[in-house]
Amino acid sequence: MPVVTLYLSRLQKLVGKTNKNKIIDALPFLGLDIEEQTDQYIRVEYSPNRPDYATDVGIATGLQGLLGIKKGIAKLAIKKADKNYSIKTDPAVKKIRPYVLGLIARGGKLDDEIIRQLIALQEDLHFGVGRRRKKASIGIHNLDAVKLPLLYTVKSRDHKFVPLATDKKVSVSQILDTMDAGKEYSPILGNASGVPMILDAQQNTISFPPIINSALTTVTTSTTNILVEVTGNDSGAVSDTLSVVASALQGLGFTLYDMKTDKKSSADSLKARNIPLDSNLVNQTLGLNLSSAQICNMLRKCRLDAVARGKKISCTIPSYRFDIFGPMDLVEEVALGYGIQNLVPTLPSSVSVGQKSITTLKLDQLGQIMIGLGYTEALNSSLTSKQILYNNTKRDSAKLIEVAESKSQEHTVLRDSILPGLLENLSKNIHEQYPQKLFETGIVFSGNSPIIESISLACVSAHKDSGYTEIKSVLKSLLKTDSNIECRTKTSENPMFAKGKTANVLVGDKKVGIVGEISPEVIENFKIRVPVSGFELVLSDFIL
Amino acid sequence: MSQVLHPIEKTIIKLLQAEKNLTESQIMEKTKLSADQTRRGIEWLRLKNLAVVQESEQLFFALGKNGLVANKEGLPERKLVNLVSGAPVPFDELRKKLLDEMNVAIANAKKNDWITITKNDSGSIVSLKTKPDPTSEEKILSQIGEGKVQQDQIKDSAALESLKKRPDYIILESVKTKTLSLSEQAKSIDVDAADSGAIDVEADVPMIHAAKTHPLKDTIGEIREIFVSLGFTEIAGNLAQPGFWNFDALFTPQDHPAREMQDTFYIKDKLAQNFATQAQINSVSASHKKGWKYPWNLDAARKMVLRTHTTCVTIKYLAEHKPSEARVFSLGRVFRNEKVSYKHLVEFNQVEGIVVGKNVSLRDLMGIQTQFYKKLGLNKIKFWPTFFPYTEPSLQTMVYNEKLDKWIELFGMGIFRPEVTRPFGITRPVLAWGGGIERIAMLKYGLDDVREFYNNNLSWLRSTPKCQ
Repeated sequence: MPVVTLYLSRLQKLVGKTNKNKIIDALPFLGLDIEEQTDQYIRVEYSPNRPDYATDVGIATGLQGLLGIKKGIAKLAIKKADKNYSIKTDPAVKKIRPYVLGLIARGGKLDDEIIRQLIALQEDLHFGVGRRRKKASIGIHNLDAVKLPLLYTVKSRDHKFVPLATDKKVSVSQILDTMDAGKEYSPILGNASGVPMILDAQQNTISFPPIINSALTTVTTSTTNILVEVTGNDSGAVSDTLSVVASALQGLGFTLYDMKTDKKSSADSLKARNIPLDSNLVNQTLGLNLSSAQICNMLRKCRLDAVARGKKISCTIPSYRFDIFGPMDLVEEVALGYGIQNLVPTLPSSVSVGQKSITTLKLDQLGQIMIGLGYTEALNSSLTSKQILYNNTKRDSAKLIEVAESKSQEHTVLRDSILPGLLENLSKNIHEQYPQKLFETGIVFSGNSPIIESISLACVSAHKDSGYTEIKSVLKSLLKTDSNIECRTKTSENPMFAKGKTANVLVGDKKVGIVGEISPEVIENFKIRVPVSGFELVLSDFIL
Repeated sequence: MSQVLHPIEKTIIKLLQAEKNLTESQIMEKTKLSADQTRRGIEWLRLKNLAVVQESEQLFFALGKNGLVANKEGLPERKLVNLVSGAPVPFDELRKKLLDEMNVAIANAKKNDWITITKNDSGSIVSLKTKPDPTSEEKILSQIGEGKVQQDQIKDSAALESLKKRPDYIILESVKTKTLSLSEQAKSIDVDAADSGAIDVEADVPMIHAAKTHPLKDTIGEIREIFVSLGFTEIAGNLAQPGFWNFDALFTPQDHPAREMQDTFYIKDKLAQNFATQAQINSVSASHKKGWKYPWNLDAARKMVLRTHTTCVTIKYLAEHKPSEARVFSLGRVFRNEKVSYKHLVEFNQVEGIVVGKNVSLRDLMGIQTQFYKKLGLNKIKFWPTFFPYTEPSLQTMVYNEKLDKWIELFGMGIFRPEVTRPFGITRPVLAWGGGIERIAMLKYGLDDVREFYNNNLSWLRSTPKCQ
């Protein structure tokens, strides 16, 4: 989850009319988790569905509502566009990255902290809404370095310009091959020979979306007028992204101006929506008995607008609140406006009788018997390594089930047997007192399509006198004690077990497991220094 | 300190009451106890303050390898005079017999004035002057012999120094001797009367390790009991799930970050068949298209994943049973493709419970949570808003931990979104809540590394008390 640093004195100024402690206390009730707190700043984690909380301006807007300083919608005021405020779209770019929106923001002041926040906001939007710039990406430019109108077009990979934070003209191919942003985001553009490019009226390159801006339009602390362009392949994501940037810039004191594009203007895209809400739904869901007027007030505390007619409430939602899908999202807003801390817990009136699953009961019972027999319970991952599961145990790996791209080399294969893990446990405990007797119950995986999940019980006994007779006794005793089952053992061979000292476990005529002495070679592979015997039963096959 | 005496201790005390100071070897000799028994007896008496042990160090001389040979065969110069005692012998012939010792033998024999060397045409010839008596060096060699001699018993220090100069003739050994005497208290013990047949009940005994359930399993069991006591029935489902039930059914869009390989384990080359009814697939697809506005793809839903939460079990249960009233819970392993660290595992346990009912509310959900934590012994809790993709409203619990003196985030909860329930024809509210179990178990066992639960380190498993 993304994190934002809030400088308390700045935040206090933005919120106005309240003290720092009230602000700090209110933060969690906006859904912000406090990560770190000092006298100067607080670092909070915000949910990815609220990118408007990526800046202190956005958080201040929320706090004003919750603290009752300013309520209702913080409406975007977008002034009409001058005739040059437009982005013309070349039809050729529609096949590559079809959507573009723009916005002008004038007369604001930037300092280092604001620039830092805008960059952070941009990155969070790129990651979340923009889906790593695929659905949408943002360019923020110094308007005064640009000659309007703009052209959103396609250029060849030979096209050259000076990219942001450099001072040399380079080609698109060079950018994609050598610069970090180029390497990271070039897959979005595919193999087409043309790439999207935004040029100004003097043919200067402004931006190469979604990769990098031009150095020409770099925003600094002396920038007062800003041009924002958002491009992407998802029109919803493009306008959602612009809406968050627009409300942040307005909050920072910029005056917003519309920009026209072929299909839509920014003013069209950033309109507030209306969603109806029934007060019964609110009261039922929250277990409250609020009047419609109270509900409207709580919605307004969450910086939404609401008017009531009887039990029907009409709610107006600003465009940057694209996390609101329908009435239930508004119910949550009411809850926040009411204050989670004010909701008194109750108990549901229904009564019911609970019970554990039959499998749980059975496994508990078997576990108790194993403990009675002197076996300590171990727990291993069901994701393990090929080395432990197959190589060390000499088992056939032909049917292994692997996961893709595991970040951990020790967790790449789903276990089809529990015994290898227990042997691994013994190998990690060779310095501990013997005898060592371990058991484990758990899920094992087999089959191809579908994957079959069975429950197994396995145990190992390791000490200098461990052997077949001992482990067969444990096996017989377990089944006899648990379910009065008499099992038989029939000579068999298995690469994990010693030749002539292993058998299949049969219940009736069905093979349900294997028992025996672990082969000296396998013991050696695990670097264990005492004999080990063990068995594994597939419980799902006969007892569960 | 216990006055129970072991028979060995009694034997030693009795002996020392007669003879005041005795060394370890003297005690061994007089009592006929074995070396080991004697040593143990002395140690016990010392620990009980019944005896005083004085350690002294003494130096002994023994013969080294060459010294032992010389004691048997004679010093090189003695060998030489023996060879020439009958008649003079040519130099070369002597060298053949004395080999490496030739030079030493000639040098010492000449120094002692035992021989004369004359030269003629064929070379040098050695002849005996006088038949020499045993030298002081030889006397020392035979005095030490194969045993040890105390340092101060060798008087001829000049000869000793000379022998020390020869390589590996003499070894100096230091031997520590323990001399035992009784403490005042022990002198008066009536050994024959003390404790007839009693044993030292205060002595240490060997540790027996009781076999037991795994500590994490105990916590899981405890949580399961609490759910049952709150009226919940356990349900179970597979660990490997089609993306459909793990993600799509829970309204997680197909391009959501959680669905990417870096967060989720996909099973290689496995696509689910017949994982849901056509109607279920259609309505989930429609919900995604309407809510998220993107072309929903069936193939993405068929990809098999290791479940990232137990919620897939819950939603499948709801879809199949469409209960109008229910309290069920599922508990089991879930998976995240993360780097393993002290706070992250690729595989851990999660529990999740739901309440379905006509009039159940968010406050009821908070009430059930409060009961749950009380049963776990956690009384100080608070609720905060949070975000989950499939619940609305959503809350998280913060629990105050006395040991750590801080608030800790525990379970998440919420009411399933209509976008999740409606495609499956569920119209009543579904209260859902749950979270990771290892986190609670870590608090319980005071662990700061979650990996400890799966290390199966026997010393930890054996030493961790059941009750925490």
